Amino acid sequence: MKVRLVGESCIAIILGEEINEHINDMVHALMDSLMAKNPEWLLEVVPSYSTLYIYFDPLKATYKEVLKFLENVEIRKVERKGKRVEIPVAYGGEFGPDISFVAEYNGLTVDDVIEIHSRPLYRVYFLGFLPGFAYLGGMDERIATPRLEKPRLKVPAGSVGIAGKQTGWYAIESPGGWRIIGRTPLKTFNPTKVPPSIVEPGDYVKFVPITEEEFWEIYKEEWGDD
Amino acid sequence: MIEIVSVITPATIQDSGRFGYQRFGVPVSGFMDYISARIANYLVGNPGGFPVIEFTVGGLILKFHGSTVFAVTGEAEVNLNDISLSPWESYWAKRGDVLRVRLREGMYGYIAFAGGIECSKVLDSCSTYVRANFGKTLKQGDMLKTGYAILSGKAGRSVPEELVPRLWGNKTVRVILGPNVENFSPDGIRTFVSSEYEVTPNSDRMGYRLEGPVIEHSERGADIITEPIARGSIQVPANGKPIVMMADAQTTGGYAKIATVIKVDLPKVAQTRPGEKLKFRPTSYKKAVEELKKVETMMNALEKFLNGKLNLFRIKVMGEKYLAFAGREDL
Repeated sequence: MKVRLVGESCIAIILGEEINEHINDMVHALMDSLMAKNPEWLLEVVPSYSTLYIYFDPLKATYKEVLKFLENVEIRKVERKGKRVEIPVAYGGEFGPDISFVAEYNGLTVDDVIEIHSRPLYRVYFLGFLPGFAYLGGMDERIATPRLEKPRLKVPAGSVGIAGKQTGWYAIESPGGWRIIGRTPLKTFNPTKVPPSIVEPGDYVKFVPITEEEFWEIYKEEWGDD
Repeated sequence: MIEIVSVITPATIQDSGRFGYQRFGVPVSGFMDYISARIANYLVGNPGGFPVIEFTVGGLILKFHGSTVFAVTGEAEVNLNDISLSPWESYWAKRGDVLRVRLREGMYGYIAFAGGIECSKVLDSCSTYVRANFGKTLKQGDMLKTGYAILSGKAGRSVPEELVPRLWGNKTVRVILGPNVENFSPDGIRTFVSSEYEVTPNSDRMGYRLEGPVIEHSERGADIITEPIARGSIQVPANGKPIVMMADAQTTGGYAKIATVIKVDLPKVAQTRPGEKLKFRPTSYKKAVEELKKVETMMNALEKFLNGKLNLFRIKVMGEKYLAFAGREDL
């Protein structure tokens, strides 16, 4: 474990320098313990693969006091009660314009891509970059595909894509360079709800293939007249 | 009500920020220059973190459809019905008055109204975050509802000349090295702390991209396993050109960070225009906290002074002028 100051109001706790579930478990255990104690100097905690950032109020505690506090918090390696979230996805067609490219690039059929992509139980390592954007672990390398050379200016919310060995979905409409293979009708990020995101760090995600009709049925329920 | 008559360069509504949602990928946002923004609020009798209009260089024009107390901060030109007013001072506006503001120097100015601006909060904050469509980018014809001036606002309050922040132009900014110093060569760090870096036009509320001598990475390279990233941190991608993370910064990132700007100097970065230069000088954690305490003490005294709870005296000691704040209980 390494500890680093980030300016005067944040401490980085570095639990490792690789992407693996064990290290990420420790990051979440530390985050959960801190949030449960909720000391008055704590502003927020932000997890990632192997590093936890602790934002604190330097007028309420020194960094030494923050570290001293951590010494006295028992951080147990509890099985985080990550929930299993099913994300229905309509693959291909208008929802997944790049699926044939992903198939051709990897010498597979479109059905193979759907099968391979929807089989694993993906772990949510953390959320970052853009609201609701989940960093998932566990994609099969047989469908790994490089990013678009020229990113699209607009990728619709819910689009599921592949970038290199990563997969995930765009929770809000944004520009993006991932290969889009499908789209979920779920509103995966809703700022009027707390928590705003359908998944939290530590959860597990299963992509479930659906038809176009099912897509629109769920879409209407989720988005209403939006 | 206040009508936005014309927006010359982008303006948004901002408050102190959106805290507690970075773990869902939601940036904090909020004031780019919290010192000027808080003072604008204090001038009209609001708590420091209330929503205000944050405008940029070209400014905007607005029309009052009811009377209220307002104040403009920043190095701003302020005109009410074509009469020139001072920034850092609160005024009374009545129905039909037209306010025009723009900046002489710096990048951001603030307009506060007594009682604040009503907004529908997204995740506990009024702050505009354009990429996710949170909040409001102001456009012509928008109507803003303000609070009741009669409850809190008083015209004719002004910031003492000596306490007007000087955040404009070229400057030196203090940083705490890290958190990813091992990704930089000793030469790279030397280059960073001894050179000048120019703010490029490619800068916005998310980050300020700088141009200057290339910062050399160590054999570890520019890329790290994606980790959180804090406001004020300076990331250096493989091209060796630094980017300072600002209010709308992404919550995580994969480039190594050479240093982090201390909190009290971040408004100086925010107020630097493209073409102007920054120098980065390392400081210690201890010094950064001392400076923060100093600024907070001054801001608290200023708030009380502007609300009539403290008096201000100028005292000369051996030729040097000092400011002294005193409340009734102190005398």
